[in-house]
Formats: sequence, C-alpha cells, structure tokens
Amino acid sequence: MSDTIIAFSNVNMTFNAGSANATTALKGIDLTVAPGEFVSLIGPSGCGKSTLLRLVGDLLTPTSGDIQVAGKSARQARLDQEYGIVFQVPVLLEWRTIIKNVMLPMELRKTSRQEQHARAQQLIELVELKGFEQHYPWQLSGGMQQRAAIARALAIHPRLLLMDEPFGALDEMTRERMNLELHRIWQQTGTTVLFVTHSIAEAVFLSTRIVVMSARPGEILHVTEVDLPKQRDINTREDPAFFRLETEVREWLRKAKGYGNG
Amino acid sequence: MGKWLHHNLPAIVLFVAVLAIWEGAVWLLEIQRFLLPAPSVIWAAFAQNLDRLIHIGWFTTKEALGGFAIGCSAGILVALATARWTLANETLMPFAIAANSVPIIAFAPILNNWFGVDNPFSKMMIVAVIVFFPMMINTVRGLTSVDPTTLELMRSYAASDFAILRKVRLPSALPYMFNAFKVAATLSMIGAVVSEYFGGNRSALGVFITQEAAQFRFQNAWAAIIIACIVGLTFYLVVLLLERLTIPWHNSIRNNDDRR
Repeated sequence: MSDTIIAFSNVNMTFNAGSANATTALKGIDLTVAPGEFVSLIGPSGCGKSTLLRLVGDLLTPTSGDIQVAGKSARQARLDQEYGIVFQVPVLLEWRTIIKNVMLPMELRKTSRQEQHARAQQLIELVELKGFEQHYPWQLSGGMQQRAAIARALAIHPRLLLMDEPFGALDEMTRERMNLELHRIWQQTGTTVLFVTHSIAEAVFLSTRIVVMSARPGEILHVTEVDLPKQRDINTREDPAFFRLETEVREWLRKAKGYGNG
Repeated sequence: MGKWLHHNLPAIVLFVAVLAIWEGAVWLLEIQRFLLPAPSVIWAAFAQNLDRLIHIGWFTTKEALGGFAIGCSAGILVALATARWTLANETLMPFAIAANSVPIIAFAPILNNWFGVDNPFSKMMIVAVIVFFPMMINTVRGLTSVDPTTLELMRSYAASDFAILRKVRLPSALPYMFNAFKVAATLSMIGAVVSEYFGGNRSALGVFITQEAAQFRFQNAWAAIIIACIVGLTFYLVVLLLERLTIPWHNSIRNNDDRR
C-alpha cells in the first residue's frame, strides 16, 4: 500500500442526496496515484473534477466508497496535514505580508518562529518571489500572488499537492511561464501533484498521466499515459509527441461531451 | 501642505463664505438675537464662557466615552457569541436589526428614572444602548462574511475554530467594526447631549443648553453647541486615525492613498 498516495475505490458523490434536486457529481470512481506522479484531471465543465479534488482533501465527504490518502483515511490525512492545496484564486490573507502568508500553515502547527522564517524564506526563493517578502498581496500581480499560494501550500513539506485550476485566471503567456515554474518545483520537491485543469496543453505539458472525465455524472472515461521525457522545457511544446498527446486527449474530451449528452 | 491646501481649499472657502453671509444677513435684516445670533456674538459668548464651557464639555464627553466603551464592548462580545452559534444568530439578529431602527433616545426619561437623573451613569447607559446595536450587527456581519475558499483553506490545515477566529474572522471583521466605531463615535455624543435635555447634572452640556435657551441667552446655547460639535468631530477623527493605523491593508484606505 505504501506505493500509492491516493486510492479511490468505487467512490460515488451525490449532492442533496434523497431530495428532488439530487445531483450525482461522481459515479464509480476508481483511481490510484503513486508517489511522485503528476496526475491531471480534465473534463467538461461541471464534470466533478473539483469535487474529486475536494474529496481527496476531506473538504467534502463521499456518499459511498472508500478514499485512502497516504495510506490512511482522507480525514486522518487532512488532520496530519499530508497535503497542501492551491485554489483557482490565491486566497492570501490581505492583512498579512507575503512572508507572513507563507508562514500561516506553520504557525498553525506551532513550529518555532525561527524555523518558520527560514522555511518561508526558502520557499519564497523557490517560487522566485525574493524581494517581495514584505509586500502585501494587493501589491503583487495575479501570477505572483498564485506563486505565493504555491509556496504556502508547500510550507509543511506535504507529500501531496492538490491544485484546483491554479492558473485558470491568468493570461496565456503568464500561464505558460507558471507551467514551467510548476514543472521545475515538482521536479525539485518530488511532491505528488493532483491537478485540475481545463487546458489540454497545460495537462500534457505537466503530467505523467491525464485522467479524462465525462460530463455529469462524472466518470473516468480514459487515462492517457504521457510518454514525454520526465524533464520538460519550452521546446517540449513543439515536440511531435506533444501534438500527438494533445490530439489524443482532445478526441477523448469530445467523446466525454457526447457521453454526457447520450 | 500645499497639496493639502489645494485639496481642501473649496471646503474652507465655503465655510468662510457661509459665516460671512450669516453675519451679514443678521445685521442687514436685523434678525432678533433670540432667533439667530450673529457668528461674532456667538464667538464673544464662547470666549467669555470658555472655562465653564470646557468644564461642562468634558463632563458630557466622559459620559459619551463611558457609554461608547460599555456599548461597543457589549456589542462585540454578543457578536462573538452570535457568530459562533447559528441558533443565537438566527434568534438574535432579527431583534437586533429591528432594535437598531428604534429611536432609543426616546427611552432616555426611563433610564434617567432607573439610574438617577443626576447620575452620569444614566446617560452612559443610554449611549451604551444606542451604540450597542450598530456595533453588534456590523461585527456579526464582519465575522460571518469570510470568503468560503479561505475557510476551506483553514480546514485543509485542520485549524481549530479558535485559530480561525483569531487569524481569519477577526481580522476580516475589523473593517466592518471600524465602520461601526465611526457611527458609534457620532451617536455617542448625540446620545449624551440629547439625553441631558431630559434632565441631568448641572455641569452637563445638554442641561446648560436647555437652561440658557430657557432664559433667552441663546448666544450661550450656541456656544455650547459649538463645544458639542468640536468634541463630536474630534472623537470621529480619532477613530478615523485609529482605523488608518490598524487596517492600512484594507482597500477603503488603500484607495485614498496616492497609489497610481
């Protein structure tokens, strides 16, 4: 069991179960993720990708089925802080400077002040925000704020990083640069990443595996193994293999939509 | 300083113009003194009675400050309980919102009766009740209007309710609370003076105003009103300054600064 960090077996999620407006968000999900993997979830809007991510984080509780995270229940994994999370919006606390925001999860764990500071400094350098430690969130651009959120998520050395469309609100150029950054951070830290996205290119560029989901009720339709070299750079996007994988995912996504309607 | 003058020049010009028109109108139209004394007459009365005015002004200011402290503290404490327990929130908030639109000053004679008309505490209690409701309502709104994603983030850290209160809810409530402090600062001076109109200690500002008016010494009543204005304005400005020092990060303050 120690070689899986996420294990879903036959997980179902129905919102408002039993009432007239019951909505089945996820149906029969089986998924395992091994340590060090970068797995992207992609699918039509409302297919339950974010719901799946929140189930891993124990921010939602499944209607039925079993979820193991880092070899324990999702709840226990949350209490033990096995994961860090990044949302579509940075949700930085506006009354705290960048370094203080990065220190927040460590403060809650009561690590020593000195240790908090040293670790936060190290992370700020990792996400290339050196020089902005004492700035307030509103003094930074959207991309920089999201980098601070990534630093904060990594603060407690999590074994797992959950990312819910973290670059969805950024422009195309910033997003591509952030993809390169995230790839480097993933390589340097060795953290497992579960990544929700709408962008096929982003998923192919970053992932080791891509999980394509169908429209509601969300089911796993296909898993694409990304056979690109582990180390990726700006040239990766021009690799013929990159186009082939993009096409493959796109075709499955088309089926995903048809699946939902049929 | 030049910039300050440039920015505030229209207001200063207007103020001086109003005084000049007032003065001129009183002399030209020969308005009776008991109807409207000229600014120069009020100013003379002000200078002549300054010691007494400062004494009674301070007496009433203490009532306003005491009531402000009691009412705001109680408002914040009740708000903390209300925001913590959903049942309390659903039970108390409709009453608080209703009570906030009641003219509480109308209860002044009753509270005078309860605590003694000469006792400054009766005025403090009226002020406390007046400021309690806006303070409580705003604080509850601040504590409960936290962005849901921020709460998800705190949940992901397995943060305790107390940690969420201290690190997220209270700081995000501060801008709401300062709005309430500003309202309360103004209301507390109004509440103290008006409740003194219904009787009170001889050295109270409101009592002085009613007595001087009853004896047709209207210029003295006007001079006392100026004291009330100065105190009310100062109180408000102190709260404004504290707001700037406490929540410099909030966008209501950021936007006033000279960025961009």
